[in-house]
Amino acid sequence: MSTARAFSVALVGVEGAIVEVEAALGGGLPRMVIVGLADAALGEARERCRAAVHSQGLGWPTQLVTVNLSPATLPKAGSHFDLAIVTSVCAAADRFDSAVLDGMVLLGELGLDGRVRSVRGLLPALLAAVASGFHTAVVPACQLGEARLVDGLTIWGVDDLLDLVAVLVGDPPPQVVRAPQQAVDTTEPVKDLSDVMGQLEAKWALEVAAAGRHHVFLHGPPGVGKTLLAERLPGLLPDLGQSEALEVSAIHSLAGLPLSDGLVRRPPFADPHHSASLASIVGGGARMALPGSISRAHRGVLFLDEASNGKCTSLSKEVTDDDEDEAAWRERAAGSGDAGGGLPGVQSDGAEHAGRGHAADLSVSAAVEVSQGQGGCDRASAS
Amino acid sequence: MEKSAVGRAGEVAAVQHLVTRGYTIVERNWRCSLGEVDIIAQTPGAEPVLVFCEVKCRTGLGYGDPLEAITWRKLARLRQLALTWLGEQPGWVPRYRVDAIGVLLPRSGRPQVTHVEGVGA
Repeated sequence: MSTARAFSVALVGVEGAIVEVEAALGGGLPRMVIVGLADAALGEARERCRAAVHSQGLGWPTQLVTVNLSPATLPKAGSHFDLAIVTSVCAAADRFDSAVLDGMVLLGELGLDGRVRSVRGLLPALLAAVASGFHTAVVPACQLGEARLVDGLTIWGVDDLLDLVAVLVGDPPPQVVRAPQQAVDTTEPVKDLSDVMGQLEAKWALEVAAAGRHHVFLHGPPGVGKTLLAERLPGLLPDLGQSEALEVSAIHSLAGLPLSDGLVRRPPFADPHHSASLASIVGGGARMALPGSISRAHRGVLFLDEASNGKCTSLSKEVTDDDEDEAAWRERAAGSGDAGGGLPGVQSDGAEHAGRGHAADLSVSAAVEVSQGQGGCDRASAS
Repeated sequence: MEKSAVGRAGEVAAVQHLVTRGYTIVERNWRCSLGEVDIIAQTPGAEPVLVFCEVKCRTGLGYGDPLEAITWRKLARLRQLALTWLGEQPGWVPRYRVDAIGVLLPRSGRPQVTHVEGVGA
């Protein structure tokens, strides 16, 4: 029985954990078994990997193939383990010298024809790999731009399985940074307060809020420009610092937004509709937690328009449940719509406790708008 | 080559393979109401093991490896057959196991035999 191992990264919220993918050949009739708490998408890697290897004419071992994802107790989700699985199986079959796999992480989903597809959460995964002392990464070629945001890694972009084999046998293809698939400029123009006529007091209040990272409560009759003003709050905030930009970009990567243009440098702005569901606001998901609006506003502005009409009250309850300082928290949340939290919704305890923020670290500025005469103002106070 | 002829040729190749490795053939194509055991053999050595073999033969890999056609259902039936055969024996058989033998019969050249031991465990 021959064995080999390759490495990949499991995502738990925005934290990455190194996963050792071991493959053993032999000991039974030809089939493939994946053990190590894989979810459904990962379990189907069995069929994807086999078909991809066959389609590229590489030959799948006609033996019992056992793949173990270690640590075995950590639940693993997602399709990005495909490359590591194929690599460990090929290494166990002695297709190349497995010494090349030391210090290398592999991330990418396989198509049935052997193509390597993009994956969600590449940036946080690579950050975790660097922190764990890895020096090389193999990523989908279409995500080279995102991968290169991480310092300290030798990055190989692969288009298909043949590229991967070329890298592994030490004959890598020339690296071409491909243009993003859709050449869309994702950086929206910064909205400026100069667009707003009059409203001098409101502008001054926004400037004070931006300077001191305070929350803003906007209250007034319809049509006076509350939304217009709130949308211009991010424009007043300074550019994000390097570590902040990495945090924000990691969340955007997890949400599946393209990062080929580089790190997110401007404070983000999230404005969930007032009828948005709780899950879309606080985030969550069965295994691989998706960031909600609160997390997407990390280090930026969360704008809760028509707050009294919607889920804000239930949101504040969700955020404060089980919090030690519940009463104070509830008051603050009800008043400002603030959700606080370093990375609420996606933070380490994942889906089950998604949304439990940390009251101490207020990193989201919130602007709440309640139209006049719609209730809510009795509970609300500027904070 | 006809289907049954392919099967027979595969069994011949499997028997040759076992004999070359020192096995003693006890019985071939043993049938009962449950089905058929292709080969029953005995390993060489001081502590012989009785081996029930399922042989699968193919002429090409277009539909996959011959061994891939041996499903858990077939193996379960083979275990039943083994117990039935053992029940009919007067003596005590201390050790037995179930093996699978895949035979690939290329149009030219020697048959390729793959022998996987102890698949029924």
